[in-house]
Amino acid sequence: MKILVADDSRVMRQIVIRTLRQAGFGGHDVVEAENGRIAMDAVLADAPDLVLSDWNMPEMNGIDCLVGLRAAGCAVPFGFVTSEGSDDMRARAAAAGALFLIAKPFTAETFAEALSAVLAPTG
Amino acid sequence: MSTVHLPGPMEVRELLADLLGREVTLSTTSPFAPGPYNRATYGVYVDDALRVRALIALDMPLSAYGAAAIGLVPPAGALDAMEAGRLPDTLRENLSEVFNIAASTFNVAGAEHLRLHAVHHVGDQAPHDVEARALTLGRREDLRIDVAGYGGGRLSVILT
Repeated sequence: MKILVADDSRVMRQIVIRTLRQAGFGGHDVVEAENGRIAMDAVLADAPDLVLSDWNMPEMNGIDCLVGLRAAGCAVPFGFVTSEGSDDMRARAAAAGALFLIAKPFTAETFAEALSAVLAPTG
Repeated sequence: MSTVHLPGPMEVRELLADLLGREVTLSTTSPFAPGPYNRATYGVYVDDALRVRALIALDMPLSAYGAAAIGLVPPAGALDAMEAGRLPDTLRENLSEVFNIAASTFNVAGAEHLRLHAVHHVGDQAPHDVEARALTLGRREDLRIDVAGYGGGRLSVILT
């Protein structure tokens, strides 16, 4: 399966990918995007099986990316990995069609719990 | 104006341990007074009206160790940065992400919402008002932090 990781911080993309591995999802193909615009184009072009996206990014933020994808008829499973996890943001994420919102900093256990319904573990 | 939450030592420890993926030990210490000979990296945090409400200051060693640890850069990379007196761009970028996520320690239920506004890196001249605010006594937390496998340094959270 293919996972798209969108975050404007290079080190945070590394950490998300590392945590995926630690949570037992290391065998999937991972592609990276550094903002919501690039992520949206990549999702529409490559049809990944899951998107893990930051919220605040330049060019296009994560919530606009999700709204844009749904408006384009794309139902890709989409979860946020973001430094803010207020009730308001969680409600907006859910209303736009996000499956979950993981707040940074996070642990492998948090990833395993959130992703187990979407992805098969690869060991 | 709501109150800004001053994160306690355990909240700081959990933040760093989760973020760096390493064991972190800490102890409280005397106020860190950065200046020309005791330089620091500053994260400046603002409220929704863009008022500066808090600073986080890391001394040179903790800036280097933290930036290296989050990116799995070997400790030698941190030592090189300390010798040079400034962090290379990759470590600066890593450290900025540490400051960005550290905003979460302020944002507990019922407290004023803060976000990272700027990072002034060690080795650069920080704005004088930031340096002056870092010396504020009162609501602050001064900690000695040790990152397993890397090394230790000082971290201060200062509410302004």
